[in-house]
Amino acid sequence: MNLSFAGCGFLGIYHVGVAVCFKKYAPHLLLNKISGASAGAIAACALLCDLPLGEITSDMLHIVREARCRTLGPFSPSFSVQDILLQGLEKHLPEDAHLRVSGKLHISLTRVYDGKNVIVSHFNSKEDLLQALMASAFVPIFSGFLPPKFHGIRYMDGGFSDNLPTLDENTITVSPFCGESDICPRDLSLQLFHINVANTSIELSRQNIYRFTRILFPPKPEVLSNMCKQGFDDALRFLNRNNLINCTRCLAVQSTFVVQDTLDESLEYDPQCQECKVHRQEATVANLPDTVLSIFQDAIDSANKGLMNWVFKHRGMKLLSVLSLPYTLPADLMYATFTKLIAMAPHMGNNLYLMSKFIMDEVSRLLKRMNRERREMSAQITCQLAITEYGGACDTEQEQESPVPVKNKMNFNFTLNLDENGEKKGTSRRFSSNKILSRHGSFSVNRAETSNVDDDTFEHILQVTAQHEAVMAYYYMDENNKVKVTEIYDVTDADSSVLLNPEEKMLNTQLQYDDDWDEVMHGSWMSTQPTMEEEDLDGYDGDTSVSSTEEDDRDDRDRHFSSNVFSDPESEWTRGSSSLQSLTAKPDNAGRHFKSSRPESDQTGRTTTRLPPRKYPVMDS
Amino acid sequence: MKDDSMADVQVAESSQLAESNSILTRIRNWLSSWFQWTPMSATVLRAAEKKILSCLKAAYRGWYVDIGSAVGTSDKIWTISLNQESPKTPIVMLHGLGAGVALWVLNLDYLACHRPVYAIDLLGFGRSSRPSFSSDAVQAEEQLVKSVEEWRKEMKLEKMVVLGHSMGGFLAASYAIKYPDRVAHLILADPWGFPERPADHKPNLPFFYRAIGWLSQTMNPFWALRLAGPWGQNVVEKTRPDIMKKFSSVVNDNEGENVVAQYIFQCNAQKPTGESAFHAMMTGFGWAKNPMIKRIHEIPSDVPVTAIYGSRSWIDSQSANIKERRPDSYVNVQIISGAGHHVYADKSDVFNAHVEKACQMADKAADISSGTCTVEEKTSSIEDTTSEDIDVKK
Repeated sequence: MNLSFAGCGFLGIYHVGVAVCFKKYAPHLLLNKISGASAGAIAACALLCDLPLGEITSDMLHIVREARCRTLGPFSPSFSVQDILLQGLEKHLPEDAHLRVSGKLHISLTRVYDGKNVIVSHFNSKEDLLQALMASAFVPIFSGFLPPKFHGIRYMDGGFSDNLPTLDENTITVSPFCGESDICPRDLSLQLFHINVANTSIELSRQNIYRFTRILFPPKPEVLSNMCKQGFDDALRFLNRNNLINCTRCLAVQSTFVVQDTLDESLEYDPQCQECKVHRQEATVANLPDTVLSIFQDAIDSANKGLMNWVFKHRGMKLLSVLSLPYTLPADLMYATFTKLIAMAPHMGNNLYLMSKFIMDEVSRLLKRMNRERREMSAQITCQLAITEYGGACDTEQEQESPVPVKNKMNFNFTLNLDENGEKKGTSRRFSSNKILSRHGSFSVNRAETSNVDDDTFEHILQVTAQHEAVMAYYYMDENNKVKVTEIYDVTDADSSVLLNPEEKMLNTQLQYDDDWDEVMHGSWMSTQPTMEEEDLDGYDGDTSVSSTEEDDRDDRDRHFSSNVFSDPESEWTRGSSSLQSLTAKPDNAGRHFKSSRPESDQTGRTTTRLPPRKYPVMDS
Repeated sequence: MKDDSMADVQVAESSQLAESNSILTRIRNWLSSWFQWTPMSATVLRAAEKKILSCLKAAYRGWYVDIGSAVGTSDKIWTISLNQESPKTPIVMLHGLGAGVALWVLNLDYLACHRPVYAIDLLGFGRSSRPSFSSDAVQAEEQLVKSVEEWRKEMKLEKMVVLGHSMGGFLAASYAIKYPDRVAHLILADPWGFPERPADHKPNLPFFYRAIGWLSQTMNPFWALRLAGPWGQNVVEKTRPDIMKKFSSVVNDNEGENVVAQYIFQCNAQKPTGESAFHAMMTGFGWAKNPMIKRIHEIPSDVPVTAIYGSRSWIDSQSANIKERRPDSYVNVQIISGAGHHVYADKSDVFNAHVEKACQMADKAADISSGTCTVEEKTSSIEDTTSEDIDVKK
């Protein structure tokens, strides 16, 4: 049996009540997978890490108090949910949190660029986990403007695509909205009309409409306390009805029973166990534990007592504060801007540099694109010239060093372009695909560059270097059929010469290997070739490229050719890198059963994939 | 859109032949086909229903049963039947609010293996005719129950198992009170309208939310759907993707058109007379004006009752109540875990097994073979449409 918590913003306090009940009366249910979105993901993580629920509650109430005392509530510019959440989680989560939750915690995310749902369950580090949780709780505009990144891709709140991720048939769903969930408040109205928003069933009732508005605007501590209590009661009722409350001795029996027979759990499996009975009796009259309740009481007191609170509770004072909004808001805005600037100052230089580089890239690409229409015809004519040059060069200086790699690459690309022109007649269609591809390619260039910056661990560096190379190689694969991608490559080369340096070094070393190989290991590439080929195809499938199958075929042929010339050092290289990757990739493959759209696996696929063709042009020269 | 309106014109013409040839109606029909906001069309509804039912393995037959002037002047009830020649006790299925016969698609095959199965569109719903009902709760209920009884008379069924879901369950129970001799077994699938409305039920909410609640109570339940007009089907798709998912295992939706959503939308896009009747029987937020739990003891004790609920639905306190109110008769309450309100589609296997069990009990109790009406059998659904067209014209 798995658990699933619905995303619900500030109503997440309901999950705290449910969690308290589970911990106390049905701890065996917490051993399996727990999934969630947004606040539900945080609750799931807290449960799996066994965090002290009292402290979590007080943290949550702290956020609520912060939000309520601002001029515009949580929308005030000086209030940042993400920062407060991050601080709280960093403080509470243990250092090995990622190890504890990996494989168990399933976080629902929404990919920003296509709006698809992604479920993440493997985390490399604590930072990784925090990033995923932050991304899952990111509501655009409310939490900020730029969605956070997880493994290099931007994500936002999972509630936009799948708010209540269910992993299999036997998932207990927990939702603070009255509807068709296993654990949810049962309002005193008939659930006749309900709608289904992002996989969460919500009844159309006044209470639910009220709850809906409280997702982003937190209510008073009293209301929150009631919600928490409600969660506890609802969870208890669910456990009672399904006979899931037992003494510890009977737990093992019960859990296996549940797995085997899910159809009618109403059967009593051991009515004789007195301890269970007592336990159940206790549970029927149980209430929220004192630790949680006292925290609520404190919060309520601090909100109600004291002279200031008394003054601010008056109607006149409320009116006054609303009337003074036009004056307090600019002040608040200025304050927020100022504090943000102060906080950003240390990173400012770096950010500015990155931003300017990004803008320069964009501008140059734009200029290229604007020029493209005019140049399209002439470009094809020059292609013919290029191939003659290329052929001659290839024959004479096959295995020599590459002093000016950029130029040679261009030559090579043009050659293939011409090949395609000769074989294919449908010109108009090819051009349209060119447009799409060049756009796609430019996107991944940006990603490679930016992802190059925010990493520190050794593994990260390894990954990122692999990724970076892969991105370039990716162009080549697709470039075999296209015209314009070459130019994009050129631009980045010229702009970021710093980035290219380590690569060139790497290339040089590889070229030396090449020489070695030519004499020594002639036969061994045959054995490694097929596996490499397979990987290539895999990665290519997972891609969102536009090319048709015929083009794929040609790619393959090219790759065959490439490996013919200098396969062994290359394949060794791939093998090395792929084995490194496979450590991270393995669990992903296992996780594919649930969701095929897994970003990490995509990435690893890419890195292994595009290595071979990347080397091809460089060393050919 | 264009095709639909063309089809509308055709349908309008054919119904004219049946009713009257006055120029006024012709003009009105022509105008309404051009100026109607909601793209409702009997042809599209028929096509959608046929497409869903084409997933059935057994052959089915669909036709209109003329029940005369039960509520309106000439009412017709759309009926589909399977395995009509079986001698066992037949089962009659009554759908819930806003649904129709096609939504039983997951249950028909299994049940038809053993006995005759009839599913009908209740009067005022689906493809049946839509006379206007009384605005009084008691009278509206009586009218609906009477239409079912008229249908039974027309079908010449002696005794039958009555299965009702949601609002259909409410009507089935009401039918069993009024005509207990005809009911071999009463099966209630997550029935509506059983519990009483709590006396002092005033949630402590701000004025704004109470105003919204009050406003929405004054209108027919599916008003928003019809208001959405051309986008109505999208509204169904967006708000109830779960229903589409329930049927996705059986209904093959090629070319991306969502047949189930289309069917549900078309069922509710027409003149909402049945819905108004429901609205008349309802008070507050979905409570029944005359709750069935108060009257359940009026069913004679020799009528066995099976109630099947989904564990995620609204059953909690009431499931036991039926048992309490009928202490000395057969009441079997089943809760299917993991199922919601649409319990027949959520866990169709378990649901079918429970229904079949109840039906077998009815078989044992009464060895009388149900009277079958002598209508010529049509096996393929293609022939079906032709016979149905003739029926419409007649």
